[in-house]
Amino acid sequence: MYWEDVAAGTRRELGSYTFTQDEIVRFARKYDPQPFHVDPEAAQRSIFGGIVASGWHTAAIWMKLAIADRQKPGNASPLMRAGVSPGYQDMRWLKPVRPGTRLTYSSEVVGKTELKSRRDVAIVLTLNEARDDAGELFFSFIGKGLVQRRPR
Amino acid sequence: MHFEDFHLGRRFDGGPYAVTRDEIVEFAAEFDAQPHHLDEEAAKRSILGGLAASGWHTCAMTMRMFADALMPLADARGGIGSPEGRWMKPVRPGDVLRIEAEVVDLKPSASRPHGFVTFACKVFSQREQVALILMTPVIGMRS
Repeated sequence: MYWEDVAAGTRRELGSYTFTQDEIVRFARKYDPQPFHVDPEAAQRSIFGGIVASGWHTAAIWMKLAIADRQKPGNASPLMRAGVSPGYQDMRWLKPVRPGTRLTYSSEVVGKTELKSRRDVAIVLTLNEARDDAGELFFSFIGKGLVQRRPR
Repeated sequence: MHFEDFHLGRRFDGGPYAVTRDEIVEFAAEFDAQPHHLDEEAAKRSILGGLAASGWHTCAMTMRMFADALMPLADARGGIGSPEGRWMKPVRPGDVLRIEAEVVDLKPSASRPHGFVTFACKVFSQREQVALILMTPVIGMRS
């Protein structure tokens, strides 16, 4: 599958992930050691009223599930052919992710753009979301993936 | 520092963060298991031309530098998002990163005793002037 074959509107469920306090704290100790991510007692007294995951942890889990989705048999995604990204837009951490929260992630193709500088790859824009079991939106961003073009 | 102490153009420096091969591979194995983040030989044949950190790992390292620089100064209420991130150059094993975070927007909250401070955060490697990523975390600060 090449960039030319990617259809706008295509939506995939990437899978679900339940955040544990241990993992939230382990990630945050390394990368985001604010008290409400790493210290249960300080978190109690914070605006969140308890430990919450770093927004970057929530984002990294999107990547983890996207990779796992691509590796399922028969799911060879066009993104596999390049697998790199020039960036993201409009990342929103809408609700705090607490220990025990289970988020289901999805990815929908919302646009395609060519590059002036290269002919071998082009960009696919995706709207990525994570919702809890009640369907509440916790996290979203627009991703940009470099995808290989059909050779001429 | 409270919301009122931030002003447009104020800059905070952070880092250094020494990037190791082991940490690149460890992060990628857990969150972004693609050959160009895990394996030198496969990475050489990839579009990145050699082993490079996951872009999400670069964001996480940037957050660490940002938190270390700002936490001692400010009572932050947590981030609400990042309007944009651009992965400009690959981050390689052995790179030493630093950040320059500049206040680019200020919005008082209408309903709560805090305001939102938006930072433009540039990440440089030791190869100076090479902006690695640009991201703009928006952080709530107490009034």
